[in-house]
Amino acid sequence: MKPLALVLAVVFFIVAILYLVGVLQIGVSHPGGRHVSHFVLFAVLGALCLVWMRFQGTPQTRLR
Amino acid sequence: MTWWQAMLLAVLQGTSELFPVSSLGHTVLVPALLRWTFDRSAPTFLAFVVALHLGTAVALILFYRTEWARIVRALVASVVRGNLSDDPDERVGWLLVVGTIPVALLGVFLEHPVRAFFGSSAIVAGFLILNAFVMFAGEALRRREVTAARPLAGLPWSAGVEVGFAQAAALLPGISRSGSAIVAGLLLRLDHDDAARYSFLLATPVIVAASVLEIPKLFEPEAHGILLQSAVGGVVAAVTAYASVAFLTRWFRSHDLRPFGWYCLLFGSLCLVLTLVKVIS
Repeated sequence: MKPLALVLAVVFFIVAILYLVGVLQIGVSHPGGRHVSHFVLFAVLGALCLVWMRFQGTPQTRLR
Repeated sequence: MTWWQAMLLAVLQGTSELFPVSSLGHTVLVPALLRWTFDRSAPTFLAFVVALHLGTAVALILFYRTEWARIVRALVASVVRGNLSDDPDERVGWLLVVGTIPVALLGVFLEHPVRAFFGSSAIVAGFLILNAFVMFAGEALRRREVTAARPLAGLPWSAGVEVGFAQAAALLPGISRSGSAIVAGLLLRLDHDDAARYSFLLATPVIVAASVLEIPKLFEPEAHGILLQSAVGGVVAAVTAYASVAFLTRWFRSHDLRPFGWYCLLFGSLCLVLTLVKVIS
């Protein structure tokens, strides 16, 4: 699952940047211009994929 | 917008955002009932709404500050360690993360078209009635469940996603965010206390993110004239939201959703009738 998480993270970060610079206009309420909320959403999803990648392959910790 | 209208809206936002009665539905229906005619898409009004949401977000964070501190610490520790443990705070933290993803995705892409399409008073009143029946059905199904309630940290990941999708139903004006999330929690065998706690914790990142992203609207030149009203409105919304969440967390220790269901049914029916006979538009 590590490669999948990495690929998804890269895709999400690219989509986030495309929304930020205004290249992507899919699903936006006001076409034209930058879309910060879309950027934040995809940037957070990308970061979560990196966390998911980090979790892969490490055994679960038992606290108690 | 007069000061009286601003303060009433602030109290309405602070209470209805957390009570399972749909804040969005009330901010459509109450101004229509009172025949308020100000422009809801004007920059000044949007700036005012941002201040109200910020106030609500601050109240939620303050109320659950110790729980959020534990959750954030557990999440950071988990990421640093690189694995999941059986720490309940960490589990709740990741449940909040997976529960927030559906509502964030659907909210960013669907919020504007859904609100534009379902924004009329009659439709909102109809959804408020539907909200009542969702709560009645949730309570009835929960009472039929014979197995004991499980703790919040005992929810599987899929259940977190399900509650997240239920919360996203609140994109429809008239459907309550907290109501739908609590019903989903009850159907996943949480007790009322934990279902409400999960619903309020789940609402926090969404309200905070929505408010923070809209902060620039507060500083637009058109909003300067309403800055004092926005600041006072934000404080009033924060105080009422804090009181609401304090009341609701006590309420759900020994009561259920049905009184809110009856309220939504009666208020929704009244507004629907008044809309159909064209008393409100």
